[in-house]
Amino acid sequence: MSEIVLEAKGLVKTYGDLNAVDNLDLQVFKGEVYSMLGPNGAGKTTTVEILEGLRDPTSGTAKVFGFDVQKDYDKVRSKVGILPQTFEPWDRIRPPEAIAYWAGLFGRKMSKKDIHELLKMVDLAHKDKVGGERLSGGEKRRLGIAMALVGEPELIFLDEPTTGLDPQARRGLWEIIQSLADVGKTVFLTTHYLEEAENLADRVSIMNKGKIIVSGSPEELVNLYGGGTHVVLRGAGEDGAKALEKLGYKSTVHNRDVTAHVPGLMRTKDFMAQINQAGIAYKDFETKRPSLEEVFFNMVGGRMEEGVLKQ
Amino acid sequence: MSRIFSDFKAFGLAYLRSRTGFFFALIFPVILILVFGAIFSQSGAQKINLPVQDLDDSYWSHTYLKFLDKTGAFSIQMIASDVDFDQYIKDELLVLAMQISPGFGTSVSNALNATGPPASIVLKGDPTNSYFSIGQGAATAVASQLAFYGHNVTDVAVVVPQTIGKPQYTFIDFFVPGMIGFTALTTPMFSMSSICSEYRNRGFFKLLGSTPLTKSEWLAAKILWYTVLMLASIAIMYAVGIAVFDAHFTITPMAILLVIVGVFLFTSFGMFLGVFVSNPESASALANAIGFPMMFLSGIFFQVESMPVYLQYIAKALPLTYLAEGLRATMSLGNDVVAATDLVILLVSGIVVFVIAARSMSWKGK
Repeated sequence: MSEIVLEAKGLVKTYGDLNAVDNLDLQVFKGEVYSMLGPNGAGKTTTVEILEGLRDPTSGTAKVFGFDVQKDYDKVRSKVGILPQTFEPWDRIRPPEAIAYWAGLFGRKMSKKDIHELLKMVDLAHKDKVGGERLSGGEKRRLGIAMALVGEPELIFLDEPTTGLDPQARRGLWEIIQSLADVGKTVFLTTHYLEEAENLADRVSIMNKGKIIVSGSPEELVNLYGGGTHVVLRGAGEDGAKALEKLGYKSTVHNRDVTAHVPGLMRTKDFMAQINQAGIAYKDFETKRPSLEEVFFNMVGGRMEEGVLKQ
Repeated sequence: MSRIFSDFKAFGLAYLRSRTGFFFALIFPVILILVFGAIFSQSGAQKINLPVQDLDDSYWSHTYLKFLDKTGAFSIQMIASDVDFDQYIKDELLVLAMQISPGFGTSVSNALNATGPPASIVLKGDPTNSYFSIGQGAATAVASQLAFYGHNVTDVAVVVPQTIGKPQYTFIDFFVPGMIGFTALTTPMFSMSSICSEYRNRGFFKLLGSTPLTKSEWLAAKILWYTVLMLASIAIMYAVGIAVFDAHFTITPMAILLVIVGVFLFTSFGMFLGVFVSNPESASALANAIGFPMMFLSGIFFQVESMPVYLQYIAKALPLTYLAEGLRATMSLGNDVVAATDLVILLVSGIVVFVIAARSMSWKGK
């Protein structure tokens, strides 16, 4: 098993009667992209800030690289990079100056070339004369990621890095996050974008009302909680539907196309083998796999639109 | 040290690029010097707490002092005749004192008989203090009353105003030390309170909390920056004072130490204020609410001894009082003993406020 980089046990954070984080357990392994997915107010940022050592839990423990986040964070601070949800760069400080500043705080010597390379990696090298306040939303986040990488961290927290960005800027950030994963960095990513978690994460935890409801790889979650795959048999007609019923599958007919529902744990390949064996005639077929959206809907009982839970 | 330098450098860059910060730190004090200097370099008007040395001890000197007392404008305290007048002013850090020379009575008699020039009364003071001009006006009015004892005589006695300290000192030599104290308060305290609030609101403290930088290191970087800024400001004030007003004041090592310790204290105090306010505008308002009364109660513009007793107690509790007093003592009067005492008071206060500020502030969320 991979080395555990981050571990929380029985984490609780209360504000009066509100349980912002409710008895949360989690583990993050070295080199994985772990995504915490949930709507606004689910407790993601509170959880992340506890794990970053920037907020104290009411009870429970959390360890990063084996060190308690409340008592010993100083010992691992340089191994952790952080992009807060509300990241803003300093006004009137240009990107290369911001990087040099952060490098100084982490006690790292960076040449102008090193700084240029880092800014190039986040596609900001051409903005070296622009003050922080004049960068676009996406550029600010990219600068934030670059600053988080200055200390050459092994673990990087990215708290909703793409929230509020346009699709193009979001895709650009995905590429950066993917490149971090490619070089073996451990990434803790919070998001309310289902496709972001599905595209980037090795493992996803769906969080709602302070609790983690389910965890697993996107494939596991889809298979277990996505409600199964839909297979469309083109031209199979009413006869095909009846044959499917005999095999125990529910189906619907539309314009002689039959859509069959394949249960979650069953592989599409096995289903098609059964169809062929039963001699069901069809012209063509296509599969419609569920996504994390279905998983989220089935587990939480609502859909998310820009982080807002719609019941 | 490298972390402090990194924070100092980045903060300094941002600071200098802020037009407001640049203006208030380096330009605003100069404008005040030019404006107040132009207005008060040729002033005149009235008032209180007047130590008097009567070296004549004659009928006419007693008469003059009796009239002076009857105006109700002064609280007269007598200085023993065997005391060195100038040294007494220096030791007691007086802003106003009067000396009646031997032969005053004879001169008055001669003037009344039109057989001699008017008698003279020396009034020494700090020309930047409002009481100097008030006192000069009242003393001159009373001196002119002596003419009623003669016939067709207009000038029996005249008041000769002199600045305390070196003879060549003028208004500007007393104004600049006060201005330095004023700037050492306003620049770090006002901006630090706003900065702390802004840093918290914009998440900068959380961001800094994710680095190895400690709160004390962050505060130390700010103190270093404001110290450098203040030294630059002093250099500019000095240059303008000499170029425009032919100033003669000296910037002593003790004055530099006082400024450094003052900046240390007021930067920490600004951070302390910033802990309790929710936004930069509120921080600015709070700093103004505390800073401006402090300026006017600290003896920079008005004589502390002439204030109501309860205000004198408040003044004695204000750190700016000691900074202003120390700067005036070392720069205008050459009294480093008093300045050193003030330095110790400021240093102890600074350490206490620094510790409280650093402990009050949390970079963590709640």
